[in-house]
Amino acid sequence: MTETSEKPAPASEDILAIEHLHHRYGNVTALKDVSLTVGRGEFLTLLGSSGSGKSTLLRMIAGLEMPTSVGIFTLEGRPMAQVPANHRNVSTVFQHYGLFPHLSVGQNVEYGLHVRKVPVPERRRQAEEMLRLVKLDDMYGRPIHALSGGQRQRVALARSLVLKPAILLLDEPLGALDEKLRLEMQIELLSLHRTLGMTFVYVTHSQEEALTMSHRILLMSNGEIVQEGRPEDLFDRPNNRFAAEFMGMENIFTAKITGIDGGMISVTVNGALLRGLWTGKAQPRIGDPVAVAFRSEKVKLVRDKGALGGDANRFEATLKSRVYKGKYLDVVAASALGDVRLRLWDDHVVLSDQFKIEWRPTNTVVIPID
Amino acid sequence: MATASVPFTRFISPSGVGPLGVSAVLGAWTLIVILPLLGLVLWSFLKLENFQLVWEPTLQAYRDLLSSGRWEVTVRTLRIAAIVTLIELALAVPFAVWLAKGTRSVPVKVITLAALTIPFFLSLSARTIVWRAVLGLNGPINSALMSLGLIDQPLDWLLFSEFAVIVGLIGPYFPPMVFPLYLAVTLIGDELLAASKDLGASPAFTFRHVILPLALPGLGAGFIFTFIPMIGDPVVPELLGGGQVVVLASSVKSLLQVLNYTVAAALSVFMLAIMVGLAAILALVLRGRVRRQST
Repeated sequence: MTETSEKPAPASEDILAIEHLHHRYGNVTALKDVSLTVGRGEFLTLLGSSGSGKSTLLRMIAGLEMPTSVGIFTLEGRPMAQVPANHRNVSTVFQHYGLFPHLSVGQNVEYGLHVRKVPVPERRRQAEEMLRLVKLDDMYGRPIHALSGGQRQRVALARSLVLKPAILLLDEPLGALDEKLRLEMQIELLSLHRTLGMTFVYVTHSQEEALTMSHRILLMSNGEIVQEGRPEDLFDRPNNRFAAEFMGMENIFTAKITGIDGGMISVTVNGALLRGLWTGKAQPRIGDPVAVAFRSEKVKLVRDKGALGGDANRFEATLKSRVYKGKYLDVVAASALGDVRLRLWDDHVVLSDQFKIEWRPTNTVVIPID
Repeated sequence: MATASVPFTRFISPSGVGPLGVSAVLGAWTLIVILPLLGLVLWSFLKLENFQLVWEPTLQAYRDLLSSGRWEVTVRTLRIAAIVTLIELALAVPFAVWLAKGTRSVPVKVITLAALTIPFFLSLSARTIVWRAVLGLNGPINSALMSLGLIDQPLDWLLFSEFAVIVGLIGPYFPPMVFPLYLAVTLIGDELLAASKDLGASPAFTFRHVILPLALPGLGAGFIFTFIPMIGDPVVPELLGGGQVVVLASSVKSLLQVLNYTVAAALSVFMLAIMVGLAAILALVLRGRVRRQST
């Protein structure tokens, strides 16, 4: 899979800026005080479960819905809050593609150019060029219903890209594809992004897609942005309980702060002492109730004196259950903290009923309790 | 080993109608619809002498048809039906688009659809006769125009005229135009309309290039349910035309009243040919469009 270092760093200039955006449907709050910026050339992902407001936010950027209230809303420096979708220089790839069933592949791709009164031969030339780019070279005259899901996806991409929008908006575009095709399309989207140097805003509920593809992720829940950062930040340093759970930290315990040493925090869980990094926004105080979280795959079995050094969090454990998953072994072990989940990649041959487990304080986050 | 009795299986069509049922339906259809039609066609090629049928083939009835000014009646009938159909189209298309896509409120939809159905509970004559009072010399329209000082004599062409017939036909033939159109527009996905807007299209462009082509089957059905029955409808022209506006259906009726069966049959065959011809043209046009969409 593509490594982060291969992704071109976005330019510092902001192409989109939104501040204090609120949106309500009747009495239901859909978006609450959302502020964000998108850099030119950036691949930004709006991540969240269904109902988190991520798609609504995307529709706001597209202009398909107008916010109830917004402080600042500029696209390429121009105020856009009241400009309808058909006058905005952005284009959306819809979840179900939104292809016109009565038009051919080529006519679909040309639709936006037709709207802009581009002459027919020029339209056709650009459409064919774009179809080559998405690897649908000979599909110009095909009807839409004769295409597979993956091919429809590419037509929708070509239809948006041919307009050279300032921002390409993608609303869960891979949701309807099967696993294998999804992985292929992830790589292709990334290579398109690199080739065109265009700005992408991508909506998904899949943390794996978000981590693989984005420069930056906005994690959303209940209409609010709960954490913003690079994929590594979100994955390793969630700063609230929702983010920790959403990013797959299986081990979360409530704790109390007993000591603060720079960024390193000592906490007690059920009387047991362990250490981790404070990632919350507010300053921690001794005695505060907090939560402590760590990933199951960071927990190791202790051999001899322990491989992770003297300051590791280390506990006696009793085997409760083990599930063989092929590539790895999922284990639940009872310890002084409570039940700890382990994901063992290489140790599943020898596992007795009693063993010791350890993990690094730097792989442990201490976050506010909520 | 004792053989278990193998259950006797035979083909059962998905609809559950066996060959017996099919032939019963076909038989009834032949008896009730096809035979009378064939009789009609047969009669149109015979002639009457002293109110007695003469059993030898002749085109006399069709010659009488052409010589007796029925041509003018045909043109008038088609003209009225065409004008009313165009008016219905102009009214029903925006209405159907609004009802299907413009309003999200379920109560509004339910009430509107109910309001469109309720007129069917009243007889057409009862609904039509009201126009006599409205359009008459002492009716509210003439009174209003006179009190506004726009005219000093009541307009006499408001009632018992082609104008009155057209006005009277608009109401009853509105629902059959709206319903198929409404259904067709409902079937257009919201995402398509959003995509069109997103690609920069104005509402007019979206209407012309997305809604209209996708609603074409509904448009065709609406045409069949309005234009064609209007050709055969004598009620409104008789009540509001007051004998001034003779249409094909009334013409057939008056021929029957003077017992001129063969010419009445010829005229009916002629009307049938017009309707079948129009439906065929429409089917061909639509099939061409639909085939282009699906290949």
